[in-house]
Amino acid sequence: MLDVIEIEDRVRRTNAYACLECGKCTSVCPVSRYGRDYSPRMLLNRTIRKDFESLFQDYDLWSCLTCKKCDDVCLAGIQYVELTQLLRSTALEEGFDGKCSHAGALQSLSRIMTSDDLHQNRLEWVTDELETATEGDTLYFVGCAPYFDVFFSDLNLSTLEAAESSIRILNKLGITPVLLADERCCGHDLLWSGDIENFKRLGKHNLEEIKKTGAQTILFSCAECFSTFKSLYPQHGMEIKAELKHMSQFLAEKMSSGELELESVDTAITYQDPCRLGRHLGIYNEPRQVLQNASPQENGAPLREMQQTGKRSLCCGVSAWLNCDVTSKAIQTERLRQAHATGADVLAVACPKCQIHLTCTMKDQVVNDKYGLKIRDISSITLERLVDN
Amino acid sequence: MRQRNPLPGICGRVCTHPCEDACNLGENDSPVAICWLKRFVADYELTHPDSKPERIPQTRKEKVAIVGAGPAGLAAANDLVRRGFSVTVFEALSTPGGMLVAGIPAYRLPRDIVATEIDAIRHLGVDIKTDTPISGDKAIDRLFKDGFKAVFLAIGAHQGKKLGVPGEDKYEGVIDCITFLKEVNLDRARKPGDKVIVIGGGSSAVDSARTALRLGSEEVYIVYRRSRKEMPAHEAEIVEAEREGVQLHYLAAPVKILGKAGKVTGMECQKMKLGKPDESGRRRPVPIAGSEYVIDADTIITAISQGPDLTFLSDDQGIELSRWQTFAADEQSMATSRPGVFAGGDAVTGPSTVIDAIAAGHVAAASIVRYLDGEALVQPEVHGEPVESEIKVDRKQRDHAPRAVMPMLAVSSRISTFEEVDLGYDEAQAVAEAQRCLRCGPCSECFVCVPDCDKITTILASPDGSREVILRLPSDIQLPDLAEGSAAVQVGAKKKTELAVVPVMPWVKQALCRGCGDCTKVCDYEAVTLIPKENDVFVASVNPDICRGCGTCVAACSTGAMVTGFYNGDWLTGRLSNLDPQKRSVVVFACHWNGSHLDNDALQNLQHNGTRLEIIHTMCSGRISPGFVFEALESGAAGVLITGCSSGECHYDFGAEHAQQMYSSLEQLVHMIGFEPQRVRYEQIPEGDAGKFIGAVKDFVENLDEVMSKRSAVQPETVS
Repeated sequence: MLDVIEIEDRVRRTNAYACLECGKCTSVCPVSRYGRDYSPRMLLNRTIRKDFESLFQDYDLWSCLTCKKCDDVCLAGIQYVELTQLLRSTALEEGFDGKCSHAGALQSLSRIMTSDDLHQNRLEWVTDELETATEGDTLYFVGCAPYFDVFFSDLNLSTLEAAESSIRILNKLGITPVLLADERCCGHDLLWSGDIENFKRLGKHNLEEIKKTGAQTILFSCAECFSTFKSLYPQHGMEIKAELKHMSQFLAEKMSSGELELESVDTAITYQDPCRLGRHLGIYNEPRQVLQNASPQENGAPLREMQQTGKRSLCCGVSAWLNCDVTSKAIQTERLRQAHATGADVLAVACPKCQIHLTCTMKDQVVNDKYGLKIRDISSITLERLVDN
Repeated sequence: MRQRNPLPGICGRVCTHPCEDACNLGENDSPVAICWLKRFVADYELTHPDSKPERIPQTRKEKVAIVGAGPAGLAAANDLVRRGFSVTVFEALSTPGGMLVAGIPAYRLPRDIVATEIDAIRHLGVDIKTDTPISGDKAIDRLFKDGFKAVFLAIGAHQGKKLGVPGEDKYEGVIDCITFLKEVNLDRARKPGDKVIVIGGGSSAVDSARTALRLGSEEVYIVYRRSRKEMPAHEAEIVEAEREGVQLHYLAAPVKILGKAGKVTGMECQKMKLGKPDESGRRRPVPIAGSEYVIDADTIITAISQGPDLTFLSDDQGIELSRWQTFAADEQSMATSRPGVFAGGDAVTGPSTVIDAIAAGHVAAASIVRYLDGEALVQPEVHGEPVESEIKVDRKQRDHAPRAVMPMLAVSSRISTFEEVDLGYDEAQAVAEAQRCLRCGPCSECFVCVPDCDKITTILASPDGSREVILRLPSDIQLPDLAEGSAAVQVGAKKKTELAVVPVMPWVKQALCRGCGDCTKVCDYEAVTLIPKENDVFVASVNPDICRGCGTCVAACSTGAMVTGFYNGDWLTGRLSNLDPQKRSVVVFACHWNGSHLDNDALQNLQHNGTRLEIIHTMCSGRISPGFVFEALESGAAGVLITGCSSGECHYDFGAEHAQQMYSSLEQLVHMIGFEPQRVRYEQIPEGDAGKFIGAVKDFVENLDEVMSKRSAVQPETVS
């Protein structure tokens, strides 16, 4: 039996009972806008009506992209994304779970990574040209890119390119970054699938490993890993002393200080704000500073912004490998349309998930023919344009 | 054939063939003559001796004693010797075979057939000691003292029951059928009398009557208290008895035995009518007052049931009996009240059929192995239950030959000899009869039949857009893991005559389909295509007439839009929930078509090496996705072995290729996550080659053992 009172109590903390039923959340929700009959307002309403049993069995519970657009517009200050997480973890406790894409393989890998007795070979991509260390001040958190590149080999993409580029840039700046041989998945996707227990295990493991290296600064190319360290770990009682920076922040800093100088190449660039970096953490400017430096100045707008940009940015369509479906495709197609409409040749990303999801959409020949464009990580774009490269 | 049924030539002659009752062809026509075809194959072996069975090497140190060399004992001996045990069968009579030689007359079951089949069991290494009754004080204790670790009591039911009517013990000329048949069959054949009454309606009664006729008795009567319909003897035997001249008195019961000067002169009978059904489901005979009449006779043979001869058993042996004076054995395990002692066959059930005895032997052998391995005696069925099904066959549209008639000796030439009455099919007859089979099983759900014949199958649309197929299904599929995925179990009875099957062919959940086309790329049949839905949005579509159900597209689908009714994620999760984290388990994804994993006996041996095998059928190795493998590993499997056909042998032409591709990326992921390469392997195995399959599993398990033992020795590494 569901402990309705207990769930209600948790729900109360998200301010859900303050709902005015104005419907702004639904009007900005990309799932509602580009997809099916999905309504954050109705889900909230059902929550308030304590309709938990049916909610937990509803496909819609797992459809929220947690992109946070609704939170941003809510007049009552309801934390809808927080509520989603809470309902999902409660649902999981009650034995209901979401629909994972790829037959659940990626979630399985994350859960396997919670094991104490694990001896990964996740750094074999590191060539001799890259200078890395096992101890030091600066740590580069690779994320699951090595796995993604194998798993998504049919997409012909390299999410590891971001890591390689980042390390090369660091090396040029005289920094030898620490890489963790026993790095684990950050747990982002497990948490958003409701699996708090395994999320915490992964977090604990990562923080212990980092502690051993003596790192003071941790750099991330993955916006999800970054937001996990920045806000989700502390939220779940896992404090981090080191300074945390997304690569876009680090690069912007080094460009302002003059340590990195870019020459612009005659390629028009547009930028996809990752939800985690943008609405979750409020980081909109630094990636743009980097890309402006990398864009041609003489052709008018240095960086071509999409129709929906910054706070109003559109999500890449899937979160936590859950409920990838026709709606995801529609959102992604729309996003590619917007990117293409800017006239840009390159879509810059700051998160491997955006890269994977939008590349996958271009598997559709019709989409590719109409809106196809190159997708590159922000660090790779930077490396290419480094003046003394 | 001999692996599961060591007595095919015997069953091919005297079996009551319940299999034929289940044959679909029997609904509007005669069933396929499965029994006689089995006989044909066994006889063919006799005339075309290929090679003698080889002695099975003894791999187990335990000795097992079997008391009684009847069909139950022989079946158990056959199973146990094949599992590597030392087996000794103790037989009280001078000839092994139990009722096969003591009870069943030679005109139904020639003795050379029995001898040949028993010899084949001996050749495997079973020691059959004849003229060796187990008797005297502490008979069971002594067996254990002699070093036997388990005992199977399969002594049959050789003790005739009394009529309980006046005169029974008073006059010479009353004999029970077993004593009579045993004497005729094993000792000396002499005419029992000129006028013979046989009392009873079972096989022994009919055998006694027909035997008496052959020995020269002039008039032979069978007196049975119910009607012909209730007679337990097989209809064909009754027909032949009548043709030979046996006179049947139905609805008549003995009231008293009449005699003069110490000798039987006849029997007084009373007419009966049928009342309400009794516990056996047959209508109870009720005497009609004043209907008494007398039949003259000089010999009365009683054949009203038998029980085991328990004179050898003393109370201190710790073996409980049922209230019918048979061994009280557990229905599922055949275990008696004394640990290590099992009982089965007629000695438990009372007189029954040869095939029931063989079945009991199988169960007892399996229990004995578990007992000696220290495992629970009753374990989940390895086999699925045979599916009882009533299936509508519209034969009007089809032109079937009639059942091949069994050639028989003419009544005139058989009546005075014990020559076999049924002569057996010749090769042409056997082939013709076998061709009558509708081939309704095992069904691989290829659905080739669907476009061809809408009479046999009917397709109904179901609400989720899938196609639910009403399909005829076999009632005798005996594949391991049937319970999990094969058609028969996916079946739900809709009506008595209709069964619904979820097709193995995939269908598309449109809401999940992104139109990426991955499914179309893996389907060489071009059964999957992208079709326009709206404004440049495409959705996958499966053409069921072309699709062959391999499931490769399901494996390739990222979102889970491509779904099947089984071999799907839920089904897998269900199968993996069997894994016991406390025990080392290996999950084997085995291609259903490859079939090399279907040798039960050999597999059971493998499972006792300390590693649990969870063998999971899949339609094709191309159906396996990395998600399946990681879910298995995550669920506690120490290793995952994928077995399937080579490219040249793949039934889907390209399934092997896709399995290979999947495996190459899987290998990289397994390496990256830090699992030893020995933990996941993909093996191509020649189709149906059980030896290769078992070799692959053994090799995999051995390699895994090495890795896992190292693994437990190493403390988790600390990475600096």
